[in-house]
Amino acid sequence: MTDNRQPLLTVDHLVVTYGHIQALHGVSLQVAAGEAVAILGANGAGKSTLIRALVGWVIPAAGRVVYAGRDITHAPSWERTRLGLAVVPEGGRVFRDLSVEENLRLGAYLETNPARVAERMDYVYRLFPVLKERRRQIARTLSGGEQQMLAIGRAVMRGPQLLLVDEVSMGLAPLLVDAVFDALQQLKEEGVALLIVEQNAYETLRVVDRGYVLENGRIVLAGTASELRENPRVQMAYLGGG
Amino acid sequence: MTLWNILLDTLTQGSIYFLIAVGLTMVYGILKILHIAHAAVYTVGAGVGLAVFRLTGNFWAALAAAMVVSGAVGVLIYRGVYFYMLDQPRIVPLITSVGLFLLMQDLLQKPYLMGPYQHAFPAQDVFPSLTLPWGTVPSAQVMILVFTALTLGVLYGVFTRTRLGLAWQAAAMDRDMAGAVGVNLNRAIALNFLLGSALAGAAGVLVGVFYNSVYATMGDVPSYKAFVVIVLGGMGSVSGTVAASFLLALAETVLLSSVGYVLPRDAIAFLVLILVLMFRPQGLLGR
Ligand SMILES: Nc1ncnc2c1ncn2[C@@H]1O[C@H](COP(=O)(O)OP(=O)(O)OP(=O)(O)O)[C@@H](O)[C@H]1O
Ligand SMILES: [Mg+2]
Repeated sequence: MTDNRQPLLTVDHLVVTYGHIQALHGVSLQVAAGEAVAILGANGAGKSTLIRALVGWVIPAAGRVVYAGRDITHAPSWERTRLGLAVVPEGGRVFRDLSVEENLRLGAYLETNPARVAERMDYVYRLFPVLKERRRQIARTLSGGEQQMLAIGRAVMRGPQLLLVDEVSMGLAPLLVDAVFDALQQLKEEGVALLIVEQNAYETLRVVDRGYVLENGRIVLAGTASELRENPRVQMAYLGGG
Repeated sequence: MTLWNILLDTLTQGSIYFLIAVGLTMVYGILKILHIAHAAVYTVGAGVGLAVFRLTGNFWAALAAAMVVSGAVGVLIYRGVYFYMLDQPRIVPLITSVGLFLLMQDLLQKPYLMGPYQHAFPAQDVFPSLTLPWGTVPSAQVMILVFTALTLGVLYGVFTRTRLGLAWQAAAMDRDMAGAVGVNLNRAIALNFLLGSALAGAAGVLVGVFYNSVYATMGDVPSYKAFVVIVLGGMGSVSGTVAASFLLALAETVLLSSVGYVLPRDAIAFLVLILVLMFRPQGLLGR
């Protein structure tokens, strides 16, 4: 699957430490343009740390992150966003005291063409009609699920080439989980590359082309979605026994 | 004291508190730093304003120069000092800020700068005094009220209508996330210091003219008074700072006119602070 596409993101022997704790021990992976890739892993495996390093919220102790041919290992997050990255962080992190619409506008902060901003906002409202109903509501008063949708919507407003998604299904009712993964599926069909961090392997493997399994800060397994689904180890740990 | 005098004093004093405290609030909102050295930036503004006024005799040139230099000093403090402490525990920039304040104030007392004297700032007749049916507004107060009204209007417009204002609000809620949606935080924070410090510089000039006095330690009282205002306003909320500035000025003015012979102004301010913190630790308008 990767062979005939340009590598969009290359992570090369990435090491991240928090003080004395080493969270990532030399992680390497690739995401091709338009490809959807999963990172599966238990609590504390280092999934969010990986996302933080890709966004620029933590600076790696060693290793490289290359995006579209450019070394962004030490770039500030706004430059990465300018290059085409967007993130749905763990917990959503919507701007609490701003309205739904202001949150979405901020998602398109780098888009100066108002027509395109309006177009994308329409798109987000079609993806999540409930956000349109609540567009004047202050984000902190949304339900947890609505905040997750807003976090996705805000990232989509960037019009990203690569969307990083950190446990978007956490704490959502099954029906909402379906809606959120349907939205991710739709983005993928429109050519957006996805890097999805999840514990919910079942839904994730439905959407992605490939995946990696992260354990204690190391990639221990890699394969296509169907390979991973068939893998006994993945079934044991992430698909509820098998 | 007549009602008119209470109103006028409240508005004047509240305006001064607001102009000084709003910069602190803006900095606290984004960086969560208690920027004590802001009070020295205010003194720098007064000093620069007076120097330019003496040279040119032009009040507007003095005000503009004070705002430009104070704004630049604010940006310098951010890029030269706080910038390197953003990920440290908040006590680090706090202590640094106290040190910076004392350092700057000590320097300002040097004879080649302001010296240990009070200097007159004789620009009281720039504005006409205003006679209303209820009483007269002296010219220095007209100047303060007009400048504050303009500032409030401009700030409201910037915060609610511009991309930069939205970015500031977002950064105050979640700085990292604001960076991740594409806000250039280095620039946004520098502009935040620029505006807040320029307003402090303007306040220095206005207060200097109002009391006809400029001196190196004039930042002493504002250095802690401004904290009363931003704590009462709910730490980091600009609208809370507006409300707290005028409420504090009102409480001071009313109490001063009734029990002023036992309680001086600053004692009243801290009494208000302590009482509010006992019953509403989140501030008057904080959630
Ligand atoms: N700010 C921090 N300071 C110190 N240690 C941290 C910090 N953040 C994470 N860690 C540690 O790094 C390791 C990886 O954490 P990370 O948040 O990346 O895990 P995760 O895979 O996202 O887990 P979860 O599924 O629970 O979100 C953990 O051992 C965690 O305790
Ligand atoms: Mg996590």
